[in-house]
Amino acid sequence: MRFAVLQLTGCAGCEVSLLNAGEELDLAKLAYMPLVVTAHDVPGVDVLLVTGGIRTDEDLLKLRESASRVKKIIAVGTCAISGGVAGLGDRHDIRELFLANTHQGRVPRMLPKCRPIDTEVKVDNYLPGCPPVPSLFVQLLNEPESLKSTSIVCKECGRRKPKDVRPTTLAHEIHKDADPELCLVKQGQLCVGTSTRNGCGAICPRAGFPCVGCRGPSNNLIEKDANAWFSSLIKVFAHMTDIDSQEISEALKSPHLALFLFQFSDYSDTELESRPKEKVL
Amino acid sequence: MTTTIQFPISRIEGHAKVVVDIDEGKVRNARFLAQEYRGFEQFLQGMPADQMPVIVPRVCGVCSTSHHIAAVEALEHAYGITPPPVAEEIRHLMMVGQLVQNQATSLFFFTLPDKLQATSIFGADEKIGHDMLGSISKMAMAVRKIGTELISVAGGQFIHPVKAVVGGVVSGIDPTAAKAMRAKIKEALPLACSLFDEYWQLTRKMERSVGKWEDNDPFYYMVAVDKNDPTRPVDHVTMQKSDGSETITFRPRQYKEFLQFHRVQDSYSSKTSFNDLPIRANSLARMNLAESTGTPIADGYLERFRVEFGSPAHQILLFDLCRGIELINGLERADRILAKNLYDGEMNVPVVPRDGCGFGLVEAPRGPLIHHYQIENGLIVRAEFVIPTVHNNFSIERALTSMAKRYVHEDRIDMGLDRAMGWVVRAFDPCIACATH
Repeated sequence: MRFAVLQLTGCAGCEVSLLNAGEELDLAKLAYMPLVVTAHDVPGVDVLLVTGGIRTDEDLLKLRESASRVKKIIAVGTCAISGGVAGLGDRHDIRELFLANTHQGRVPRMLPKCRPIDTEVKVDNYLPGCPPVPSLFVQLLNEPESLKSTSIVCKECGRRKPKDVRPTTLAHEIHKDADPELCLVKQGQLCVGTSTRNGCGAICPRAGFPCVGCRGPSNNLIEKDANAWFSSLIKVFAHMTDIDSQEISEALKSPHLALFLFQFSDYSDTELESRPKEKVL
Repeated sequence: MTTTIQFPISRIEGHAKVVVDIDEGKVRNARFLAQEYRGFEQFLQGMPADQMPVIVPRVCGVCSTSHHIAAVEALEHAYGITPPPVAEEIRHLMMVGQLVQNQATSLFFFTLPDKLQATSIFGADEKIGHDMLGSISKMAMAVRKIGTELISVAGGQFIHPVKAVVGGVVSGIDPTAAKAMRAKIKEALPLACSLFDEYWQLTRKMERSVGKWEDNDPFYYMVAVDKNDPTRPVDHVTMQKSDGSETITFRPRQYKEFLQFHRVQDSYSSKTSFNDLPIRANSLARMNLAESTGTPIADGYLERFRVEFGSPAHQILLFDLCRGIELINGLERADRILAKNLYDGEMNVPVVPRDGCGFGLVEAPRGPLIHHYQIENGLIVRAEFVIPTVHNNFSIERALTSMAKRYVHEDRIDMGLDRAMGWVVRAFDPCIACATH
C-alpha cells in the first residue's frame, strides 16, 4: 500500500510522530512527505494522510488537487480535524490584528480562519490526537481494521480511584503529582481523561500531568455537541469529588482545554454535520 | 532583464522556498522565503499566562521542548521563582533529548540523502546498504529514537512535552526507568558513532566535488551555552565576531537593544542582524565557541574536526559535521545526567503568580530562543518569540547568493542549481514553523 502525507499549515508534530513509528512501518512506500522526502507533488496513492489545517489559499489548492489523485483520505491530528491551535485566534479583534500582519507581498494569502479539511474534501477517517502517538500510526497503516477506540483514557492510565478520597476544591498547585498511584481527579486536578477516547496509552496522566483531551471525546459523546461533553465532565466530577460544579464548569472553559474539547463539535459558520463515530479512529 | 527562478525546499521543517533573482546573466541575490504563518503572537493575547507551557509547544512539533521550557522559564522570571536544582537537571535532560532527536533527524533524514544522491533516507538504503550493517534508515531511526525516548522519560511525552511546570517539574525520573534508558544509550552510542563516521567520509567526498561552500565575509556567531558543556544553557547570549576580534554578551531582556529586526517582503519570517552584520547560530556556532564538549568521545571528534578544518572553521558545509559531534555529545551527556539522583527530594517549589513581564532563554538546537511575556490580570497581553532561524536568515541568504553565482553564467545556468540551493538551506537546518509562528 503506497501512502503520502500532505502537510498543510501545522507544526509538523504529526509527521514527527509518524517518523517515530518508522521502525515498524515500510517507509519505502512513503511516496510523498516534504519533511523527509523530496518529491514534487502528491502522486496517486492508496492512502493520503493530511496534517495541518487549511490556513492559506495554497493549502486549499494543494488539498483539492491531491484529493483527486488518491483513493482514501485520512485527517490526522487536531489541526486537520478542527483547524487546531490557530482557532484560539478565532475572535473578532484578534482576526483583524492577524490579517493586518499578513500583507507582505507575494506570499500565500491567509483565509479568514484555519479550517478543518472536511470542509473541502470528503474524509474517510479521522485520527485525532495532538499529535496521535506513534503506535496509532502503526495500527493505522499496518492493520487499520484493528484500530477502534472503544474506551477512555482512564482505562490506560490505571491510577487508583478510591471511593473515600473526595477532594473539595481544585488543586491550587495545579500540576503537582503528590501521589503517583492516585487518580489525578482524586488529587483535585482538572483531568479530562474520564471522557476522552483512549489509544494514546495515557502518556500525560501517567507522567503526572492532567489529560487535556487531545484525542477528543469518547465514542458515546463524539456525535453530540461539545456541551454534552461539558455536562458529562461536570457529572463525572460530581460523582468522584465534592468540588463545586460551578468551579469545574468555569475551569473547563480554559482555552487549552477548549482547543481540544471542541474539535469534534459543530461549526457555526459551516454546513458541517457531526462526524460519524465509525469514521473516528 | 530580470529573471526570477523559484525552488520549493523539502527536507526541512515547514514551508519555504528559495528565489534567485538574475539580472543580465548575473545573480543579483538569492532569497529564502517562509510561506506559512499562524499568528501565535496575536492569538495568545488574552490567554491565561499559566497555560503557555501547554499551548506554545504547538508552535513546532520538532522544537516543542525548547518552547515548553522557554515558556516555563519566562513565567518563572515574571513570578520571581527559582526551581529546585533537580528540576533544572530534568529540564536539561529534556533539552539534551531534543538535541539528540533534532541532530539525528537533520543529519540522517534531511542531509544524508543529498550526500547519497537520494531523494530520502528510505530510498538511500539500496545505495549504501552493502557496506553497512543492515539498513541505514533503520539504524538512523534507532539512533533518533533515543532522543525522543529521552524527552519522554524527562518530559512525559516527546512531541508536546508536559512535565516542566512553573516552579519545577511534575515528577522525578524513576531509578528503574533511568537505568533502562542508560542501557539503551550504551547500545546506541557505537551505532551513532559508526553512522557519523560514515557521514564524515561522505561529507569529505562531497567537499572534493563541490567545495566547502566558503563565505568569509564577516558575521557574528551567536550562542547561549556553557563553553565547557555546550548542551547546558546559560543566562545570557554571547555574540562573537567571526574573526574573533570582538565578544559581546547581553541578557534576554536586552534583546531589542542588541538585535536589529528586519521585515521581509514576500516572506512570513523576519530576519535579524547584529551591528549590521549577519548572524550564525546553530551547531557550528556552538562548536566554534566551545572550549570542550565536556565528554570524551565527542571531544575526540571535536579535536579531529579542528585538525582537519581549523579553529574557528567557517565553511557552511561544516554545520552538519558539528551536528554529528553534538549528537554524540548529547548521548554521552544524557548518560551522565541519568546517573544522578533524579527521583528524591522536592521536584517543585510553591508558586504565587503575579503580573509583570518575564523572559525565558534556552539554547534550542538551532540557537538561542527567547520567549517574552507581558502579563496583566493573569492574562497574556503581549507575547514575543525571538527565534534562532530568524537570526540565521541573513546568513542563509548570503550563502545562497554566493552558491548561486557558481551556477549562473552569462550564457547559461548549470544543472544542479536547485539541488545546490537545497544543500545550503539544509546546512542551516531552518525551522519555518518556529520562524513564522
